[in-house]
Amino acid sequence: MIEVKNVCKQVSTTEGELQILDDINLFVADGETIAIVGPSGSGKSTLLGILAGLDTPSCGSVVLNGQDITQMDEEGRASVRAHNVGFVFQSFHLLPGLTALENVALPLELNGDREALKTARNYLERVGLAHRVTHYPRQLSGGEQQRVAVARAFACKPTILFADEPTGNLDTGTGEIINNLLFDLNREEGTTLVLVTHEMNLAARCNTTLQLQAGRQMTPAENSKDTTEKEN
Amino acid sequence: MFSLKMLIRTWRGGELGLILWSLILAVAVVTSVSLLAERIERALTQESSSFLAADLVVRSSKEAPSAWLEEALSKNIETAKIMSFSSIVFFGDDLHLASIKAVQPNYPLRGSIKRSTTPFSRDPALIEAVSYGPEKGNVWVDARLLPLLDISLGDSIDLGDTSLKVTQILVEEPDGSSYSFVGARVLMNYADIPDSGVIQPGSRVTYRYLMASDDQAAFESYVIWLKSQLDIHDRLITPDEAQASIANTMDKGRRFLLLAGSIGVVLAGIALALASHHFASGQTKQVALLKSWGISARRVRFLYAQQSLWMGLLGSLAGLLVGYAFHHILLFVVSEWLPITLPSAGSRPWVIGLATGLICLAGFTLPALWHLPAQSPLAVLRQDIVSKPVNSLVRGGLGVVAIAGLLLWYSNNIAVSMAILAGFGLTAIASVVAGLVLLRLGMQYGQRLGSVWRLALANLWRRKTQSLIQIVGFSGAIALLMIMVIVRTSLIDQWRFQLADDAPNHFLVNVAPFELDGVRNLVTDNDLNTAGWYAMVRGRMTEINGKPITDVQKDSHESFRRELNLSWTTVLPEGNKVTKGQWWDTIDLDEFSAQSTAGEIIAPVSLEDELAGELGLVLGDRITFSVGGLRFEAEMVGTRSLNWDNMTPNFYFLFPEGLLEEYPRTSMTSLYIPPEKKLLVNDILRQFPTVQVIELDKIIDRIRTIVSQVSRGLEVMTLLILGCGVLVMFAAVSLSMTERLQESAILRTLGSSRRLILGIQLIEFSGLGLMAGLLASAGAELSVAMLQHFMFDLPLSLHPWLWVVGPLSGALLVGSLGVAYSRKAVVQPPLEVLRAL
Repeated sequence: MIEVKNVCKQVSTTEGELQILDDINLFVADGETIAIVGPSGSGKSTLLGILAGLDTPSCGSVVLNGQDITQMDEEGRASVRAHNVGFVFQSFHLLPGLTALENVALPLELNGDREALKTARNYLERVGLAHRVTHYPRQLSGGEQQRVAVARAFACKPTILFADEPTGNLDTGTGEIINNLLFDLNREEGTTLVLVTHEMNLAARCNTTLQLQAGRQMTPAENSKDTTEKEN
Repeated sequence: MFSLKMLIRTWRGGELGLILWSLILAVAVVTSVSLLAERIERALTQESSSFLAADLVVRSSKEAPSAWLEEALSKNIETAKIMSFSSIVFFGDDLHLASIKAVQPNYPLRGSIKRSTTPFSRDPALIEAVSYGPEKGNVWVDARLLPLLDISLGDSIDLGDTSLKVTQILVEEPDGSSYSFVGARVLMNYADIPDSGVIQPGSRVTYRYLMASDDQAAFESYVIWLKSQLDIHDRLITPDEAQASIANTMDKGRRFLLLAGSIGVVLAGIALALASHHFASGQTKQVALLKSWGISARRVRFLYAQQSLWMGLLGSLAGLLVGYAFHHILLFVVSEWLPITLPSAGSRPWVIGLATGLICLAGFTLPALWHLPAQSPLAVLRQDIVSKPVNSLVRGGLGVVAIAGLLLWYSNNIAVSMAILAGFGLTAIASVVAGLVLLRLGMQYGQRLGSVWRLALANLWRRKTQSLIQIVGFSGAIALLMIMVIVRTSLIDQWRFQLADDAPNHFLVNVAPFELDGVRNLVTDNDLNTAGWYAMVRGRMTEINGKPITDVQKDSHESFRRELNLSWTTVLPEGNKVTKGQWWDTIDLDEFSAQSTAGEIIAPVSLEDELAGELGLVLGDRITFSVGGLRFEAEMVGTRSLNWDNMTPNFYFLFPEGLLEEYPRTSMTSLYIPPEKKLLVNDILRQFPTVQVIELDKIIDRIRTIVSQVSRGLEVMTLLILGCGVLVMFAAVSLSMTERLQESAILRTLGSSRRLILGIQLIEFSGLGLMAGLLASAGAELSVAMLQHFMFDLPLSLHPWLWVVGPLSGALLVGSLGVAYSRKAVVQPPLEVLRAL
């Protein structure tokens, strides 16, 4: 569950205060999916960072699974991330010195999971990379690298998964495969999915869409089904 | 163990290569040189003992009280007695005033006697080393006694009432070379002395009591006891005093090697610092990722600290192994340096090696990684968020402290450490200041040049922080490599020149005025040159500042007890330096003669500075000398340092001309006698029986071997040092490579030609190399000047070639390395390059 109330973000620049986010409110129930859409520079990634506890808002509150992370210090937020959150990034962020299997196993190993390699192998199989486990990132295509990243994100069994333009670096066909994977795994694992994307058709697959424009929420976060009806 | 697993994975990813190699090399350099230095150190102690033939000797004019020997026996200390004196030996009608040395069978306690059955042989295969003296009834003699008495091995010569059989040629005595002797040496058994009847009460005999023990504690307590038993006739001789000139040479050799090792350590340190900086900047992404997964900053620090520790341990262990292997190569090269087998090293070199790894890591790698835990996890979303590294001044300071501590501990020599640090430190500071100016000038004037130049020089300015770090790294490496080359060539050459092939190897002393022409002619007839003749009178100090020499003073220094050699000269002898006071050229000598009163003269005297210190004499002190019963007074007007390496006559007391000439005097000189003319010594002794010949040829040969072995050792060291230098270059080049490859790939995507891209890289790197080379030349010149002055006591000399070779080799080396590195950008498709970054 994610609950965001009156979140804003300002930064100081040489030309004065810059408002990046202004009065954002939203609620995402467990297992739901939400897409954050908007043009470049509208504050999508900043909002994602704040929701995931990677950054702090200038005002307002963010509650993840009942814990107000805006009241916590970095250590507290780290602990919330460790137990609740998973990520998929646009640029994959795989470690070049690790094989696909080791990349997936790393966060599990850091959490002291003795079955890390077994679990990692299982998830790589689920994303269709059983035959690529010993390959290094440089030996994998972009789509394959993102599938490894998806496996890594789900292997930790997060309750909330944040995906920052997960198909931004991929062609349409490969992007579609990744999208399917994300939604399939989301359904199977019951994860809450927060997705930043440019693609409206991907946003349409989410339960809710939040549209940003210059840091402001254009519409109340609403069920995409309603949005579709309105468009019709 | 998870951190070890992570470390192995990082290694596999190729990110640890430079750091690990730098670490391994730093440890290997230190370990190999320390191992060698320690073994040489131990051998030197053993060697010095062998110059004495014992660990300690008491020289005395009387027989030792039996209590000395009983006490030694009770402490399990080995002793041997030696008696030396001059006596005539006969064979038929031929006779010779020989220098007799009677030894107990267990002589020598340390070192060995070299003997042969082939006279005048220098072939090592014909020479045998033994650790015992002749049996009763036999003698071993100097080869030149054979032609003197016209005898061969197996003949018996007469000494007093006894007849002794000549069974061996005496080639070398361990304790023989440091003493002068009048005639040919005859080594006999102590037990034959009573039968010979040559020693009567009142005979002039010198006794030596040799002592040695492996039990250090027992020996030290015995020495303390023994010292309390000695009287004015006894003199304790320690190994240090036994052979100053060889110890001096070995010491200089050791310093050369230490210097080379220290340069290696600094270079490896720079490489490690650069590699760590590069490694840390590559780790920010990974740390951001770990933190996005909820790994706390403390855990990140712990993980990196553990990995660093593992890296330090594994790198150091590998370094110790490489160092051990390398020390064997060094050992092989210098194996002839010391005639004996080197004793094995203790634990110190291993401890130093291991500590070097850990200290280098703490001084260079940890500070570079320190800021990583503070990396914001937000960097996984935004690439522009990078945590600020620890201030480079603080990091530099920590590195300098680590290196300075290490250098001091390692070389145990402030002069070496300071010279290297000052050279490198000034080069670094000058690099930053001058580098900024040069970069700025380059950017300004680059505008007027072609597009390639403009782009390249503007790039250097834009990346000025990185450019400056690179200039510091390059100039440091080039400067240290040039210092190494200068040390290897000119310093060693200067050292070697001091001991030229025809350096004097014999001293002729005690030449009476009436013999002088005869000896001179004999020398000239043999086509030999002397180092000039010096007249001297023998005198004794009787009073200081009008007060008679006290017993306390006599006990404190033997110069107060014995006759001294006093000489005179107008010009300051070669190799002498005035250290305090004045020399004749600044003194009004007439004023001194004016003070002369009837029968007593007041003369200015210049003393050797160390001796003046030991005697407690200061400028202005008046010393009264007694020469053959006549008295005169002298005022100490100055002190001099002497050069003992060039084998020319040196005098502790020097007077101006015209003051001592009226006293009974003798003359001395030094000259080079080539091996094939060695028998000239016999002719001199036969024709001029009172002349003393001091033979130094064996010592000089030994010094020469040491010098040549040190040069070869340095050559091997140079290889290691070169390896370190190349590492620094690689580390510095790779520092900016990611950014450069990215830019090149973008330029390539935009359609820039291969020529333009490589041209930019060539100009950038050659420019950096040129600036670094120029600054390195200045640093190297300064360091070498300091080393010459403070460490090796050599005259200052400039090296103009440095200023050409430095910038040129810098531009060439750095330029080609940079272009070779950047080739990837033009060979691979740009997308592949960008993806791999």
